Amino acid sequence: MEKEINKMTYTSAKKELETIVASIESGQLDVDALTDKVKRASELIAFCKDKLTKTDNELQKLLEELE
Amino acid sequence: MPENSLSLTELNLRVRDAIRDYLPDTYWVRAETSDVRRNRNGHCYLEFLEKDSADQSLVAKARGVIWSNVYEMLSAYFLSETGQQFSSGLNVLVCVSVTFHELYGYSLTVVDIDPSFTLGEIARNRQLVINRLEEEGVLTLNKELKLPELTNRIAVISSPTAAGYEDFRDQLYNNPNGFIFYTKLFPAIMQGDRSELSIIAALEKIFINKDLFDAVAIIRGGGASADLNCFDSYLVANNVAQFPLPVVSGIGHERDVTVIDVVSHTRAKTPTAVAEFFITHLTKTASELITLQDRTINISEKIILRERTDLISLTKEVIHRSTLRLHKENADVDKSSATIKYRITQLIQNQFHLLDRNEQYVNMVSPINILKRGYTLVLKNGKIVTSAEDIEVGDNIQTRFRDGTITSEVINKEV
Repeated sequence: MEKEINKMTYTSAKKELETIVASIESGQLDVDALTDKVKRASELIAFCKDKLTKTDNELQKLLEELE
Repeated sequence: MPENSLSLTELNLRVRDAIRDYLPDTYWVRAETSDVRRNRNGHCYLEFLEKDSADQSLVAKARGVIWSNVYEMLSAYFLSETGQQFSSGLNVLVCVSVTFHELYGYSLTVVDIDPSFTLGEIARNRQLVINRLEEEGVLTLNKELKLPELTNRIAVISSPTAAGYEDFRDQLYNNPNGFIFYTKLFPAIMQGDRSELSIIAALEKIFINKDLFDAVAIIRGGGASADLNCFDSYLVANNVAQFPLPVVSGIGHERDVTVIDVVSHTRAKTPTAVAEFFITHLTKTASELITLQDRTINISEKIILRERTDLISLTKEVIHRSTLRLHKENADVDKSSATIKYRITQLIQNQFHLLDRNEQYVNMVSPINILKRGYTLVLKNGKIVTSAEDIEVGDNIQTRFRDGTITSEVINKEV
C-alpha cells in the first residue's frame, strides 16, 4: 500500500521513486499499470522538489521558537 | 627579639639580590601559559604553569610579565609563525629573566619566544588527542554518518556576532538554485578558556532537538585573532566525533587542521565554504531527482511510442485481415449465386421439358388431332354431346369436323 506522500520523508519518497523508475524501465508493466506508476512518480517528484525549494513554515516557526 | 632579625623588606631585598646574583642570565623555559591578560599600558601579565604529564595536576607555577614594547613585537611574531594569538593554554618556550621584587615577588620577565616549539607542542598535542580518540574507537564515527540527501536543517554553533556567521547565512540563503535552508543558531563562545564547555553545552542543546536537524555546522571566523585551543580539545573532539548528526567544521583557519577538523564529518576552511558545501550537496540531491524525472519521462515516452506503434500495426493487421476475409466471402457469395443461377435455370429447363411433354400429350389428346384422324364431335346447343340419349328426334345438332361444322336435323334415333 502506498503511503500518503505528505507523511513521507524525502529519503523514503526518493527510494520509492527509484523503485518505480526501475520497474517502469524493466518493461514488465502493462500500459494501465504504467499510467498509475507514472502518476505516482510525478507526485513523488513534485513532493521532493517542494522539499528542496518550498519553505515549510511550520518547521521554520518551530525552529524560531526553539530555545 | 633576636639581634639579627630583619624587616620583610630587608629579607625581600636579600632574596632579590640573591636571585639576581645567582640567576643573572636569561633562561629558555618550557611552560604552559595561563590567565594571559594585558593591562591598559599594553603590558601583558600571565601565569606560567607546569602540569604533571600523567594526571595534569599542577606541579609548578610562576607569574610572568611581558613589557608592552616586547609584547608588541613578540605577539606579532608568534601570530605570524603559528597562526595563533599568544594566549592562554599554550605550551611555549620562552626566554625569561628571573626577577624578584620586594613587593610583587617572584616573576619571570619574557624577553623572547620560540614559536616553533609551540607549533610542535600543538601538533604533538593534536596527535595525542587523535591517538586517544582512535584508541577509544570514536575517531571516525562522525565521518561514518551519512549526510541525508535532503540536508537543509542546520544547527549552527557560532558566536552570534561573528562575521563568519553572517557570511555563512548570506551564502546559504542567497544560493543561486533557490534551495530552502533552515538555520538555528546555538550561540557559543568560540575562543578563550570558556569556549570548550560552551561548545559542548551547545552540542548538548542540539542533541536534545536532534530530530529537527540534518547536520551541525561549527563555524568561527572573522578577524585575525586565532585561538584554536578549544578546537584541539579532547572533550570537544570526543563530543563531535560521537555526535549523532554529521558535523561540518568551518573554523576559518587556513593553515591548521584542528582535531575538530579531523573528527568532523566534513572540514571546510571557512564558514562560507561550509555554506557552499551544503549548497553543493543539495545541488547533487536535486540533480539526482532531475535524473529520475528524466528517466521517468523518457521511458514513458518510449513506452507510449511503442504502444502506439503496436496499436497502429494492430490496426493495419485488422484492416488487412478483414479485407482478405471480405474478399473471400465475396468470392464465396459469387460462387453461391452462380450455383443458384445454374440450379434455377436447370429447374426452369426441367419445367420446360415437363411442359413440352405435357403439350405433346395435350396435343395428342386434343380434339383437333382426334378430328384429324376422322372422328367428329357432336354438339347440341353449343355443348358436346356424348350420349345418344341426350338427343331427341327433331333436334338440331352440329357436327364438327376437322375443317368445318355442319348442322343437321335428327330424323331418326336408335338406341
